[in-house]
Amino acid sequence: MTTPVVERTNVKKTYMLGKVPVNALQGVNLKVEKGDFVAISGPSGSGKSTLLNMIGALDKPTEGKVFIEGVNVSTLNDNGLADLRRRIGFVFQFFNLIPRLTARGNVELTMSITGLGRDERRKRAEGLLETVGLKERVNHKPAELSGGERQRVAIARALANNPKFLLMDEPTGNIDSKTAKEIIELVMRLNEEKGATIIIVTHDQQIASQAKRTVQMLDGLIV
Amino acid sequence: MKVSDVLSYAFGAIRLRKLRAGLTTLGVVIGIAAIVALLSISQGLQDTITEQLQTGFATDTLIVSAGGGFGMGPGAMTATESDFKLLINYTQIINELENVRVAVAIIQKASYVKFGEREFILTIVGVNFTKYTNIYSSTFVAETGEIPLDPENETVVVGKRVSDPWKNGTSFCDVDDTVEIIWTNASRLPPKNETYVGHVAAVLKEIGGFSLTGPSDFSVYIPISQAQSFFGTDECDMIIVQLENDDEATIESVSEAIDEAFSGQVSVTSSTAVLDIISSVFSTVEIFLAGIAAISLLVAGIGIMNIMIVSLMERTREIGILKALGMKSRTVLLIFLSEAVIVGLMGAAFGIASGWGLANVVARVFSGGGGFMGAGNHAAAAGRMTITPVLTPTVFLGALAFGLIVSVIFALYPAWRASKLKPVEALRYE
Ligand SMILES: Nc1ncnc2c1ncn2[C@@H]1O[C@H](COP(=O)(O)OP(=O)(O)OP(=O)(O)O)[C@@H](O)[C@H]1O
Ligand SMILES: [Mg+2]
Repeated sequence: MTTPVVERTNVKKTYMLGKVPVNALQGVNLKVEKGDFVAISGPSGSGKSTLLNMIGALDKPTEGKVFIEGVNVSTLNDNGLADLRRRIGFVFQFFNLIPRLTARGNVELTMSITGLGRDERRKRAEGLLETVGLKERVNHKPAELSGGERQRVAIARALANNPKFLLMDEPTGNIDSKTAKEIIELVMRLNEEKGATIIIVTHDQQIASQAKRTVQMLDGLIV
Repeated sequence: MKVSDVLSYAFGAIRLRKLRAGLTTLGVVIGIAAIVALLSISQGLQDTITEQLQTGFATDTLIVSAGGGFGMGPGAMTATESDFKLLINYTQIINELENVRVAVAIIQKASYVKFGEREFILTIVGVNFTKYTNIYSSTFVAETGEIPLDPENETVVVGKRVSDPWKNGTSFCDVDDTVEIIWTNASRLPPKNETYVGHVAAVLKEIGGFSLTGPSDFSVYIPISQAQSFFGTDECDMIIVQLENDDEATIESVSEAIDEAFSGQVSVTSSTAVLDIISSVFSTVEIFLAGIAAISLLVAGIGIMNIMIVSLMERTREIGILKALGMKSRTVLLIFLSEAVIVGLMGAAFGIASGWGLANVVARVFSGGGGFMGAGNHAAAAGRMTITPVLTPTVFLGALAFGLIVSVIFALYPAWRASKLKPVEALRYE
C-alpha cells in the first residue's frame, strides 16, 4: 500500500474570536489515497472549508497532524509550503480572482508563478478557458464576468499547472446544471485518465453520487 | 517566478493606482529635483568663481598688503593697526627675493570720473603698465587702442564696461577721448578736489566676471607715477608679486620671505589660499543645501511608506491569493520592492530632469540683467557673473542612487509585512 495522499489524524482547529474559542474542527480523521475522488458534504458552518484549507496547506491545524504525500504540513517552511501549493489545484469557494487581471491573466498568473514561459502559458490559458466555455471572455476582468463565469475562471486557474491534486470548494455552486455537468465530466476525466486525486466540497447530490467516496460533516466532525 | 514577470506584475499594480503612484513619485521628484538644482547651481557658481579667480588672479601671484588685507597669510595673525605703511618702492625689496619674477605696486582709489556730461564713481587704479601687462598678459590686453608701455603723460586705460556699460555699443568713452577724474582729498582740511585730465589710450578687451586683484572691466587705469602725484602719496594699496612658478613650495617660501622682510607687518595672500577657502566655503554650503533637500526626500520616503502600507491593506486579499497559488514569500517581497524601485527610479529620473531644468532657469534669471553700471567697484561686478549650472556625474548618480535607496528603505517594512501574510487570513480579509 502506498502512502496516502492525504492523511489527517485527529485534526482540530480552533479559532479564537476574542476570548471565545470556535471549534471549527473537533477531531477529524481522514485518509485520501492517490487517485481517489472524495466528495465532502454537510450543512453550512460544519467545517468543510476549514478542512479543505488545511488539506490545501493554506492553514495549519491547532492540534493533530496533516500529512500530504507523507509530509507533515506543520513542519514545512515557506518554500516547502509554496512548492506544495503549486502542485495543488485549489478552487476557492469565493473564487478569489485578482480583480485587475483579465480572465486569461488570472489563469496565466499561476503558471508565471511556477516560471512557465510567456508564450506557453498564454496558449495554455486560452486552451483552458475554452475548455470551461469562456473562449469569448478571455480579455474580461472579473468585474465584467458573471458569478458562474468567475467560478469557471477559477476552475481553469486551478487546472493550469496540471495538478495531481485538485481541491474544489463548491465549484458548481453558481453554475447552471449544463455547465456544471461539463465541468464535473472534465474533473472525472482528470481523475480517471491522469490519476489526479480529487476532493470536492459540494451540496449537489448528483455530483456527490459520481464520487468514489463521500464524506459527511457535521459540527466539525466527520459522521 | 521570473524577474521579468515580477516586474511586469509590479508595473501592473502601479498602473492600477496611477494617481496615487503619481503622487508618491512626485514626492521623490521634488526631493531629487531640489538636490540636483541646488547642487548643480552651486557647482556652477563655484566653477565660475574659481575660473574667474584664476583668470583675474593668476595662480602664480601673491598679494602683499599692509596689516589685515585678505588675512590669509601668516602676517594676518600678528598684524595690528600699526603705523606700518606699504610704500610703492617696497617693490624693490620684494624684487630682490628669490623666485620673484616681478613685483608691481597698485594704488586704488574710488573717484568721480566724468565723460563729457556723464559722471560716475569708478575705481582708479594706478599701476605700472609694463609690469601689469607682464603679470596679466591674458587679461590686461587692449581691444582698441594700445596700452602705452612706460608712459609719462596723462594716459588712461579703461575697462570694457567703462567704455560700453550696457553691452549694447552705447559708448561712454573711446580711444582718444578725454576723461576727467575728480578725487576728493579728505586727508587735509578743508578737503580739496583734485582733477586729473587724461586721454584714453586703450579700451581693454572684455574680461568678464569679476576679479579680486587682477584687471577688471569696471576700472580706470592710470600710470603709477601719475597716480602717485595725483593722489599725493608714496603708499600703495597692495603689491602684486609674480613668482617664477606656482608650485606650492615656491608660494610658501616666498610668502615667508616677504613676511620676514617686513617683520610680520604685511599680509601675504596667495590665490591658491583664496581658492581653497572658497572651495571649503562651497563644500560647507553644499552639504547644508543637500541636507535641506535630503529632508524633503525623507518626507517623500515617509510618503512612500504610508502609501505602501495603505496599498498593503487594500491588497491583503491579493497577497493571500498569490501565496495560495504557491508564490514564495520572497517573491511577494520582491514584487513590493520592485514597485518601490519603479517609483524611486521614475522619481529620480524625473527629479534629475526637472532639477536640471530648474537650475538652468534659475541660472538664467541670475545671470541676466546685463550691464547696469553701478559703483563700478569690484564687488558690484560680482552681480554680473554668468552661472552655468554643472551636473557632475557624482551628483547625477548620487541623486539616482539616493532616490532609489530612500524608496526601497521605506518600502522594506511594508514589503516585509506583505510577505509575512498568511494565506487563509489574507483570503478571509474583506
Ligand atoms: N477565521 C475564522 N475565525 C473564526 N471562526 C471561523 C473562522 N473560519 C471559520 N470559522 C468558523 O468555523 C466554522 C466552520 O467554517 P467553514 O467555513 O469551514 O464552514 P463550511 O462548512 O465551509 O460552511 P459553508 O458551507 O457555509 O461554506 C464556522 O462556524 C465559522 O464561523
Ligand atoms: Mg465553506
